[in-house]
Amino acid sequence: MRRARAVLALAAVAPALALTQPPAPARFADVTARAGIAFVHRSGASADKRMVETFGSGVAWIDYDNDGFPDLYFVNGAPGTSNALYHNNRDGTFTDVTEKAGVSAKNTGPNVFKTGVAVGDYDNDGWLDLYVTALGPNILYRNNGDGTFTDVTAKAAVAGGAAEWSTSAGFFDFDRDGRLDLFVDNYVDYRTEHNPYCGPKKEGYRMYCDPKIFDGMPDRLFHNNGDGTFSDVSQRAGIANPGGKGLGVTFCDVDRDGWPDIYVANDTVRNFLYRNKGDGTFDDITYAAGVGFDGNGKPRAGMGVDCGDVDGNGLPDLFVTNYSQELNALFLNRGKGRFDDAADTPGLRSAFLRLGFGTKLFDMDNDGDLDIYVTNGHVVDNVALFQPELSYAQRDLLYENTGGDFRDVSAAAGPALQAERVGRGLAVADFDNDGRLDVVISNLNRAPVLLRNQGGAADGNWLAIRAKGHTSNAFGLGAIVTAETSAGTQVREIDNAASYLSSSDTRLHLGLGRATVVKRLEILWPGGSRQVLENVTANQILTVEEK
Amino acid sequence: MRLVRGGVLTLVAVFALVSVPLRAQQSDERLKRVTEDLFSRAEHVDADIAELKSVLAADPKSAQAHMLLGIAYRAKDSPDLMAEAIGELRQAVALDPSLVPAYLYLAHLYLDLSRPDRAKEELQAALAQAPGQPQLQALLAECERQLGNPKDALDLAQQALAANASLAEARFYEGKALYDLGRRDEAIEDFERVVREGGQRFEVYSSLGTAYLETGRTDQAIASLTDAIKLDPSRPEPMIQLARAYRLKGDVARAELPLAHARTLMGSAVSAADQQVERDWYVEEGVLRLQTKQLDAAARDLKKAVDLDSSFGPGHRYLAEVYIRQGLYTQAQDQAVRAEKLGSPLPPDLRKTLDEKLRASRPKGRS
Repeated sequence: MRRARAVLALAAVAPALALTQPPAPARFADVTARAGIAFVHRSGASADKRMVETFGSGVAWIDYDNDGFPDLYFVNGAPGTSNALYHNNRDGTFTDVTEKAGVSAKNTGPNVFKTGVAVGDYDNDGWLDLYVTALGPNILYRNNGDGTFTDVTAKAAVAGGAAEWSTSAGFFDFDRDGRLDLFVDNYVDYRTEHNPYCGPKKEGYRMYCDPKIFDGMPDRLFHNNGDGTFSDVSQRAGIANPGGKGLGVTFCDVDRDGWPDIYVANDTVRNFLYRNKGDGTFDDITYAAGVGFDGNGKPRAGMGVDCGDVDGNGLPDLFVTNYSQELNALFLNRGKGRFDDAADTPGLRSAFLRLGFGTKLFDMDNDGDLDIYVTNGHVVDNVALFQPELSYAQRDLLYENTGGDFRDVSAAAGPALQAERVGRGLAVADFDNDGRLDVVISNLNRAPVLLRNQGGAADGNWLAIRAKGHTSNAFGLGAIVTAETSAGTQVREIDNAASYLSSSDTRLHLGLGRATVVKRLEILWPGGSRQVLENVTANQILTVEEK
Repeated sequence: MRLVRGGVLTLVAVFALVSVPLRAQQSDERLKRVTEDLFSRAEHVDADIAELKSVLAADPKSAQAHMLLGIAYRAKDSPDLMAEAIGELRQAVALDPSLVPAYLYLAHLYLDLSRPDRAKEELQAALAQAPGQPQLQALLAECERQLGNPKDALDLAQQALAANASLAEARFYEGKALYDLGRRDEAIEDFERVVREGGQRFEVYSSLGTAYLETGRTDQAIASLTDAIKLDPSRPEPMIQLARAYRLKGDVARAELPLAHARTLMGSAVSAADQQVERDWYVEEGVLRLQTKQLDAAARDLKKAVDLDSSFGPGHRYLAEVYIRQGLYTQAQDQAVRAEKLGSPLPPDLRKTLDEKLRASRPKGRS
């Protein structure tokens, strides 16, 4: 009863807010058609309501040909469907190069549903590789450097369990040996051939099952052996919790001890924060950190996740998208291993009726702080039959960081954000290198949406960094960058693994506000070396070679 | 989404840790305190949960703390915490595979989720650690019964009773197996004995009341179902049965109250268990309306019942009766055929009436 009142109150407030909103600091235009992206996601939706059909597939930005313009990779869902790699033509258009590249993954088997994608250069040859997750065996594609890829899954031994439902994944160098390791979220123990009936037994009312009725599955951590093979070290590392129902994962050094930590968003059970002990093992510090539950001690339905310093205290905070009628979580890092959940911060409450999936903390207006994009869409396609206040397709949410709070600026961010979609994956990159971060969203059973950031009235300056590791991994994933400008200091990590089933650009993008120069730019490489550049000019893509 | 606890006995929960020794760090005073608290002061469960989280903050690898937290979550009996309870218990056995009580509680949770197959797996794992343990065997009996194997269930319950004749849950599960085997008088004897020996639990009274009702002992059914409701006023199932008992006794007026109360307790009928309760409610409401000659309301309720579960024969059979009384013979015939196929034929007098009416309404053929 209390919840019902809250729903009504929030629903009543939302339109009023929209009417009084000032202009958004950035507007986004749907340029999908103009870009020539014809990909359409197919979930394999059927009357059987197989659970995997409703979780969608991911999307990745990957500059696979190293031309400095991020290309796009879409994962398709249903067995037999083709993933798609689009080459960025550097003029706002893209060309489908899937067949030539050999990354369609369409012959994976009759019961294999493809889900997520991770990007990283696991062999340090300077070319970004692709890892595709699935309900079924996962796939590692090695980039040959000539526009083609080779399926090296068998040699690398990273397929995971034959019947595992893997979701988000990411490359990171957990032992800082200079080689990227691989973390894979696993969801629930679900087999399409054992698909229970859920929902009322009348026509049209069958629904996708509640994940609570399925067991969780332990996640996997693959250690990179440096010879093209990986070893599964999940148990030894202490991350193989069988209670987990992982959907999102991100990596950041939450305690700034130099070792990358892991945060997993779980569905209907608590999230996991694994502190890297630096000896190849992790401690589950969720209870100590207070990042597992909502304020009432209840687990939420975690979907997408990202980390980044939203409050400017130099420490990475955690943002998690959750189920409808749950607020998205914003765990503010207070230092010394403690977080506070700011989910109820006024500006974020508009998410209450949405079911959030892909998300990204990014500086949409280059003003020097991290804003939030969330794509939404319910998992129950007939949800309105059961809860008329909810809808299946939903609008995205865009929050501007106002320093201490957030402001929902979705209504003023352009027509593209007024469209209702069944959003799932989301990834960010400045695909046209104009200095503004753009967004791509993978929709369930529909075409994706490429949203070009058109900027706003008070666009700031910016700096993009392409890190080239030598002792460290080749793209500097895990490097911590500190930028000092006249406006203050920002601390960011190079981490492309976040959101939901998706992977963003490996380049780090910094908004600089009115500053035209970065007075001091420090890169703490994952290998441990510290490199400082001074008086770096704004509005450029800077390549930094590890020394 | 409401995931309703199945008809699983909860009384074992209290006994489990008593008879299966905790293999824990006895030196850890905090865990000892929580353990004692958890099984003696149910009102302290929130404080226990907070304490266990605090223990896990300091020692995230404490299998004992994970297990107790899972047990504490189950004690909360909240659908929001069911998955978390399973998660904690699974982590406990992953950290310490010899934690027999964790398997037992996992089995209970899986039975709550109507997953006797998974419950059976956990109990088999536990029995590998503690062969012949009667509590585990008793619960395994209930798994087998829910899996549709009442003979195996009976064997297992009897093995458990052979090891410990005073084990209330074994006696109770034996009764349920006997009931499923159609040996209702023996089942009633078991349920009555459990009550006599101190097992005054909701599940026992509820099962006993239903068994009395099925054997025509209406007054005893009313008494037992009333006791069940007193023990757990949040459950609609015994209220629906109580309404039925009053109706069968001819006291239609008294049947109204528990039925109306049951309606207020029903969830959104998403889980299978919820749907069955809702179906039963509509059937009872429909039959009550039929008896009070409110035929339109009866038809509406019974249509909802068969809409919720088209494989439920009695729903079709009563709906056929309503249609006969409304003079809608074609619809009545359709429902009667469905009911018959599902093993619930019309009583002979009604069947005869319907056949006559159908013949009379048929167009006369040329002579």
